[in-house]
Amino acid sequence: MRRQFTAFTKSQNLTLAVIIVLGVALLGVTSGGNFFSPVSVRTFFQFLAVPILIGLAQMITISVGQLNLAIGSIGGFAACLAGVMMADLGVPDVLGVLVALAVGAAAGFVNGWLVVVTRINGFIVTLATMTILSGAQYAVVSTRTVSSRNWEFVSGIGRATVLGIPVVFLIAVAVAVLVSLAFNHSVGGRRLLASGDNPHAATLAGISNDRSVIVAHAASGLLCGVAAFISLATLSGVNQSVGGDWLLSSFAAPIIGGVSLTGGSVAILGTTLAASVVRLVDSGRAEFQLAPAWVNFVVGAVVLGTVALGRAREVRDARRAGAARALAPQPVQPTETTGVAQ
Amino acid sequence: MNVLRFVATPRFFLVIIIAALVVIFGAAKPAFFNGPFVIAPLITSISIFTIVGLAQMVVLSVGHMNIAVGQMASFGAMVSGIAFQLFEMPLVVGLLAGLLAGAAIGALTGWIIARTGVNSFIVTLAMSFALIGLVPTVYQWLSPAVAFTAKPDGFDFLGRESFDSVCVLGYCGTDSVPIISIAALITMLLIGYLYTRTRLGRELLVTGSNEKAAKLSGVATGSRIVIVHALSGTLAAFAGFLLAASIGSFTPSIGDEFMLQSFVGPILGGTLLAGGYVSITGTFLGITLALLIRKGLELFGFGIESLNVLLGLILLIALSSDRIRDIRGRRAPRSAAEPPPADQPPADQPAAQRVEGDKEVSR
Repeated sequence: MRRQFTAFTKSQNLTLAVIIVLGVALLGVTSGGNFFSPVSVRTFFQFLAVPILIGLAQMITISVGQLNLAIGSIGGFAACLAGVMMADLGVPDVLGVLVALAVGAAAGFVNGWLVVVTRINGFIVTLATMTILSGAQYAVVSTRTVSSRNWEFVSGIGRATVLGIPVVFLIAVAVAVLVSLAFNHSVGGRRLLASGDNPHAATLAGISNDRSVIVAHAASGLLCGVAAFISLATLSGVNQSVGGDWLLSSFAAPIIGGVSLTGGSVAILGTTLAASVVRLVDSGRAEFQLAPAWVNFVVGAVVLGTVALGRAREVRDARRAGAARALAPQPVQPTETTGVAQ
Repeated sequence: MNVLRFVATPRFFLVIIIAALVVIFGAAKPAFFNGPFVIAPLITSISIFTIVGLAQMVVLSVGHMNIAVGQMASFGAMVSGIAFQLFEMPLVVGLLAGLLAGAAIGALTGWIIARTGVNSFIVTLAMSFALIGLVPTVYQWLSPAVAFTAKPDGFDFLGRESFDSVCVLGYCGTDSVPIISIAALITMLLIGYLYTRTRLGRELLVTGSNEKAAKLSGVATGSRIVIVHALSGTLAAFAGFLLAASIGSFTPSIGDEFMLQSFVGPILGGTLLAGGYVSITGTFLGITLALLIRKGLELFGFGIESLNVLLGLILLIALSSDRIRDIRGRRAPRSAAEPPPADQPPADQPAAQRVEGDKEVSR
């Protein structure tokens, strides 16, 4: 059962990896090799960091059965607030980065807290905070663009490379590794998964679902804060539009990556690979000089396709799982959960 | 008796708040009562956004949501625009083409949801992004100016005129009420008729309140879901058409602001997210409140960003107060008990026993 499951995830990741290889090869050929030039490679990885981070941020909320519509506006507000503080108030760069991270985490915490205290659907809560924060973002920067010259140290991080790979991409990978460790090897991460999979069983196992929801939203917000920091580092300036187009990619990455929308599962590698696929579509769009709207169209269509396919697979798996349960008297998941709780 | 019952609903509070705001705005800024320049545009946007709210409300009635409401509007409007610009169709034919396009895209969405059983949020989100990509591309492809500006006969009359251009026997109407309000009234009446007087309407509500029970009592829930999404697409396309009529041209940006408003109206008006209950007048009042606040902020010189902040806060406060009332109402008989988290089944004891029972079975 377990091996089957791992094999399945691997096959999903394998598909994504094959698509990436094919896409890269295609882009390399059509661009006459320009796609592999050092500058082009650096740009590709530089702007891959944010999609990975927001995909992971969304994945964490999905893992507890929630969703976070406010991802873009948390990131945008954090970036703009930190940017304005560094530019106008002369706040040192390091402090500015900390502000971005803290604002992200705090906004996420408030989201989770509101969901728990008011018991309003998480969709509506994050819709409301999305609106509030995008208003706040506009109030902070209004119509101007705050130039990145005001935070040379941070944009230095954005330009820095190690062996041709941008540091910001490595930061995103490091975050992905941390998230993976948290979900696979920490009690807290397992608790989130238990709450997402079956809240009632989690309660009986002594896990506080409220805590899981708050932790997940706060972690999601923190990752948005990291994405805000990377936006500050890589963009030539921040303005009102930062974060405006994060929403779809944040959902696209986990869904294409194989995360179950009903909660209880994560796919860190899948999410990262799917974010790369989306980034490739964007590169291809630039290569063929198509309108940016095409990316939305392709990604939307791919998400619809993946969701439909995933559902078909789920039905099949459920049938198999039913058969497996009938054969095996000791189900794997519940024992593991109780083991964590004790 | 009926009055008493009305007093206890969220709609009553909305009426009071709206009345209070009108008085406050009017007292502070007498320009607020300027018919052609303040009241008529306000009623125009209330009319359009009420239909947007209804487009969301109908899917909420089966417990679904439609994130693509704005994009369906822009899609339907685009088809109407093409009909007018490239085929020079008359007003009614172009309108019908747009409505049909909206119905088709909605039906496709509903079909995917019903067929795959995937959360409507994700399907409509993906649909919205597919359309966000498609619509501007088509505009760019067909029109160098990225807008359709052809106006059939009656287009301006529907979108931009008020009743003072309607004269009967020498008496003309007021210039504060635009013609477009008729469209909203008719739509509200039709939707009201659907939910209160027809079998289909009741079946939609049953599907929303308990899909399994609906299925067991012989309602074809799958086809109801397709129908309700098609209806939502039609209403969205109608709203998009009216917005185009009121601004005078079809552009890809139609529908950009629809999504948030579409939720604000029904939810403030008492429509449940979970499905099974709708309020049409509530939706109208919720939209009216939101747009009234917007107009007020404009009059007092606040920017659009404060509107966003305010709308978000209103949404949160309205829902939390609803929730508090709900919990208090339920807990009143046994107020001594500590209120347990509401999303867990109140009967902890039997549930625990059930699980123990399961264990015994598995042993």
